[in-house]
Amino acid sequence: MQLVANIIVLSAIYALISCGYVLIYRVSRVLNLAHGELMMVGAYLLLMTASFTSNPMVAIPVAAILSLTMGALVYLLLMRRMTGESVLAAILTTIALGILLRGLIVIFFSAAHQYPAVPLGIHSSSVQVLPGARISSLSLILVIVTALVYASLFAFLRLSRWGLRMRAAGQNPLLAAQRGINLHGIYAMVWAIAMFTGSVAGMLISLDAGLDQTLIMIGLKAFPAALVGGLDSLLGALIGSLIVAAAEVLLIQYVNPLLADVVPFLILIVMLVVRPWGLFGTREALDRV
Amino acid sequence: MISRTIALAAAAGLLGTAAGAQDAYRIGLSGALTGPVAGSYAPAIEGLQLYINRLNEGGGIDGHPVELIVLDDSGEPSRGATNSRRLLGQEEVVLMINASLSSTYAPMMADARRAGVPLLFAASACPAEVYPPAEPLLFCTTAFAARYDSQATLDFIEAQAGTDISLGLSAMAIPLSRGEIEAAEGLATERGMRPQAPTIVPPPTADYTPFATTISQAGADWVYSWAPWVTEVRTFEALRRLGWEGEYIAWAHLEAEGELARLQDEGFYAIGANSLFAEDLPVHQEIRAAAEAAGATYAPDQMAEGWIAGLVIDAALQSAGWPADAEAVNAAMENLNVDTQGLRGGPIEWTPENHFRATQYYRVYRWNADEGAIDVVQDWAAYTVE
Repeated sequence: MQLVANIIVLSAIYALISCGYVLIYRVSRVLNLAHGELMMVGAYLLLMTASFTSNPMVAIPVAAILSLTMGALVYLLLMRRMTGESVLAAILTTIALGILLRGLIVIFFSAAHQYPAVPLGIHSSSVQVLPGARISSLSLILVIVTALVYASLFAFLRLSRWGLRMRAAGQNPLLAAQRGINLHGIYAMVWAIAMFTGSVAGMLISLDAGLDQTLIMIGLKAFPAALVGGLDSLLGALIGSLIVAAAEVLLIQYVNPLLADVVPFLILIVMLVVRPWGLFGTREALDRV
Repeated sequence: MISRTIALAAAAGLLGTAAGAQDAYRIGLSGALTGPVAGSYAPAIEGLQLYINRLNEGGGIDGHPVELIVLDDSGEPSRGATNSRRLLGQEEVVLMINASLSSTYAPMMADARRAGVPLLFAASACPAEVYPPAEPLLFCTTAFAARYDSQATLDFIEAQAGTDISLGLSAMAIPLSRGEIEAAEGLATERGMRPQAPTIVPPPTADYTPFATTISQAGADWVYSWAPWVTEVRTFEALRRLGWEGEYIAWAHLEAEGELARLQDEGFYAIGANSLFAEDLPVHQEIRAAAEAAGATYAPDQMAEGWIAGLVIDAALQSAGWPADAEAVNAAMENLNVDTQGLRGGPIEWTPENHFRATQYYRVYRWNADEGAIDVVQDWAAYTVE
């Protein structure tokens, strides 16, 4: 049962991170390679708010709101300038943004390993979730938050007017604009939501395990999960995360822990060869990449 | 007229700088100030900078300041190589210092050999070339000592629990860490312990629980980890969350002091070669004061490695005299005995054959819940380096 719990926790981590890749790609067709850095920035925003207040009920929501705002600003101040440029130019811009953010984080927060949970007085205890299976309380929260985020996103995209506009902008931006949809507003919103979900992942990971620049690499490890599922499918991100996490945990347990680092990318390569648009992605989307 | 005055002032400034540089001992450092591993190196670099600043404020060495040129390599070998070429070719340093990942060693060592300039490893694991019989030009002050660390750790475990134990082993998927833990596996077997196959954790890892599960399910009584701090401590925390109640011993990296206080777990031991600041020796107070005066970025208790490197560089340059070239500095470093003022269990002694140290000292610490403080579980144990 411990293996099942381990798979669920790891897939929740990957799913919460990878939905940011999917949202931005699905709506604006931009592959955001700064997602790991933006996730890390979200975690550092929590560290910053924790230095002002030790109340987690204040520090976490304030950091989340700041993340949401920063995501929108990234689009409005930077990515908006890429409108009309090639997709490659937009991707290169996200790479440059990532490098910039790494440098700024060291300047403002230093490279030291830090623990936002300490000033907030949060202690991650051990919880029995299944017979013979224990996880940390923060991992349990992460699983619940991931479920809530995905349920909210599905509901938002399916049922709300803004969600409908977002889907329209993703499917046919020209037609959507002709119908009066404010594309820049939609794109700013999707960048904000993507940064918000990534930041929540970063905050929960850093509350559980501490915070340093290696968080970027964890963000990158979730990328194969998004691609395996299909870059324009939220359901695909969920299933892709489950596949990658299950492969990783089972190989650690039964074959060789070293394979954990390689397998997500091996699965990605296999998927790109066999079904390049991913399990739930669309061919049309790939052509546009 | 104004522009002419500015030009003259600028020229005078340049001449002044050049004269100042000519009067200074020029030494250069390439280190991981940024990048994913910077947290393990940047505090030591800051400690060295504080030492050099303090030295210069006191008049330098026989009236000559020490100019420390610090370049960032982000832990990348290619940038390390670029930095060493700049330090040797443009800056003409008389001593190079490496404070970065072991993957940056090879290019810097090759450049140092070509230029005949000594290279000091001051923040990461000492390379094999500094142990007897030492290779010329390569020196190391860092606390780590491959093989000796595992020997001392296993001696401690044996003293605590005997040899009838199942020993879990954890390493990071980097050559240095894997090599040491695989050596520990052999040493443990020779002693009659039952070592598990090492659990090698790739960097970075989103969740350490799957790795901890393999160790826990194999029934480890003790776990030994010799890896970067992140792997050591997160594996331990994951084990505890699984309900594992055994004892865990890890190498005391520069983060150890703060982390022992954070974890507050009596089953977590840190073995290392540096004294902790909880001891509050005069040298600890001196480092704290220097850090406070400079508004340092990192915690003073993470600066011991840099300060020790400063003590050694100070002694080497004094011994080399003025004017010092690389040859004189190398000759001075080959016959050096530096009092570490309590930061280590004994002095750093270098001879032409041994560029590591003649004797390596280890201490073991853990958290004492009753006293709410860090305890010395085992005082300095000496190991002769042969």
